[in-house]
Amino acid sequence: MLRLFAPATPTGLQARLREVELFSTLSPRELKVVGSLIHQRSVLADEIVFDEGEEGQAIYIVLAGEVAICHQGEFASPIAVIPPGRIFGELALIDGGPRSAQARAVRDSELGVMFRGDFQNLMESHAAIATKISFQLARHYAGIIRQMAASLGRTR
Amino acid sequence: MSSPRYQPGPLVWCAILAATCLLLFLFQKVLWLVVPLLFALVSYYLVLPLKQRLVLAGVSHATAAIIVSAGILAVLGLAMVLATPWLGAQLAALQAGGGRYYEGGMRFLSETLVWLEGHVSFIARARLSEQVAAGIGEFNQTFSQRYLADAAMQAAVWFPSLLLIPFIAFFMLRDGWRFKRLLSNAVPNAFFERTLYLLDQLDRTARGYFQGLLKLTVLDAVCLAAGLWFIGVSSPLLLGVVTAVMAWIPYVGSIGGCLLVVLVAATDFPDSPSVAYAAIGLFIAVRMLDDFVFMPLTVGKSLKMHPLLTVLMIFAGGAIAGVAGLVLVLPLLGIVMVTGETLGAVLSEPRLRARHRHAKALLQAKVTVDL
Repeated sequence: MLRLFAPATPTGLQARLREVELFSTLSPRELKVVGSLIHQRSVLADEIVFDEGEEGQAIYIVLAGEVAICHQGEFASPIAVIPPGRIFGELALIDGGPRSAQARAVRDSELGVMFRGDFQNLMESHAAIATKISFQLARHYAGIIRQMAASLGRTR
Repeated sequence: MSSPRYQPGPLVWCAILAATCLLLFLFQKVLWLVVPLLFALVSYYLVLPLKQRLVLAGVSHATAAIIVSAGILAVLGLAMVLATPWLGAQLAALQAGGGRYYEGGMRFLSETLVWLEGHVSFIARARLSEQVAAGIGEFNQTFSQRYLADAAMQAAVWFPSLLLIPFIAFFMLRDGWRFKRLLSNAVPNAFFERTLYLLDQLDRTARGYFQGLLKLTVLDAVCLAAGLWFIGVSSPLLLGVVTAVMAWIPYVGSIGGCLLVVLVAATDFPDSPSVAYAAIGLFIAVRMLDDFVFMPLTVGKSLKMHPLLTVLMIFAGGAIAGVAGLVLVLPLLGIVMVTGETLGAVLSEPRLRARHRHAKALLQAKVTVDL
C-alpha cells in the first residue's frame, strides 16, 4: 500500500536527532523534515573538522564519538570536548562568520552537518520548525552565558 | 587558519569565459538534448515549490513528485480540452487576419520605399521598390518548394526530443535531491563545506536566472503595452506579452516581435504610416532599455555579473552558437562562473589540500595497523 505520510515513530537518523538538544522539541514529522537536510559524515580520530578563522557555512552535530574544540594548534589543551547529542560550530548558522576555534575529532566519530543555506530555506518555507530550532539555539547560548558568569564569579 | 575571502584572478576569469564558449560550441552539436534539458529545468524550478510544500507536509520525495506531476498534467489536459473550441475559433480568425496583416505590412513597405525613392535620388535610380516587390513575389512563389519540406523535416526531428521535457522534469523533481546528496557524499571531508556552498550557489544561480527572466518578461510586456496603447495600436497588452516572450531569444526574437508590431500598426492605420514609424521607434527604445538596463538589472543581477560582461557575452554566444547561443549563454555563464570561482577557491587553498592529505594518511594508518 502506498505510504503517503511519515511513520509516527522516528527511525534511524531521526531517532538519533531526537536525542540532540537542538531538535528535542520537534515532532516526528518535523524531525523527518530536518533529517532530510542533515548530511552524515564520518571522521577519523585526529582528523580536523574545521580550522580557526575558516568561513563557517554549517553547524555540526555529534552523533557518535567525541570532538575537541581548541585554539589552532593547541590540541593538547582543548577548550571543550563535545559528546554525542551536542552541537558545535553553531555561530555559522547565525552569521556565517569565521570559525572562532578549531574542531578536531578525539576518536572516530559520526557527525551530522546542517548547511546554513538549508536552514535559511527552512526559515522561509517552514517557519515553525526554524523557530523551534532557533529557540533551542537561544537556550543553548543562555546556558553558555550562565556558565561563563558562574566561572567569572568563582574567579573573583 | 584565517584567510581573506577568495576573489578569482584573471586566470580563473579567462578559464570561466573559455569554458563557457567551449560548452556553447559543444552544446550546439547536441541541441536536441540541450533544448529539452533547458525547458525541463525551467519547468523544474517553476513547480519545485509545490513539491517542497508536500515534502514539508510529510509526503515522501517520490510521492510528492508523482502528485505534483500528475496534478500539473491533469490541469494542462483539462485546460487543453476546455480551450480546444476557443483555440479553433482563434486559429480560424488568425488565418483570415494573418492575410490581412500580411497585406497591410506589404502595403506599408511599398509606400515607404516609394516615399524613399521620391526623396533620395540614388534609391530612385536603383528602382528599389520594384526590386523588393519582385524579390518578395518570387519568395512567395517558391516558399513552399524551398522551405516547407525542410521545416516539416525539422519538426519531425525535434518532436521526439521535445517529448523528453516532461520526462526529464519529472525525474529532476523526484531525484534531484538524491543527486545533490550523492555528489556531496562523494566529496572528502576537507572540502565538504565549500562544496555544499558550491551546490547551494549553483542552485540559487539557476533559480535566480529563471526568476530574473520572468521579471524581465513582465517589465518588457508592461513597457511595450503602455507604449503601444499610447500610440493607439490595437490589442496593446496581447502584443506586449507576445513580443516580450519572443524576446527570450535575444535579438532574433526582438526582430520578429518588431515585425509583428509593425504589421499590426500598418494594418490598423493604413493611411497614416507615422503610427508604424512610431511603433518601430517605440520598439527600438524598449529593446535598448531591455538590453542595456533591464537585462543587466534582472538576469545579470541574479547572476551577479557586470552589465558590460553580460552584453559582451550575449554577442559572443550569438557568434559561437547562433540563436541557441543567444538563449543559452547567460545561464551557462552563471553556472560556469560559480563552479569556476568555487573550484578556484578550493584548489588555491593549501590548507584544505593539506587537511585532505592528513585525513588520507590517518585512513592509511588505520587500515594498515595490523599488517
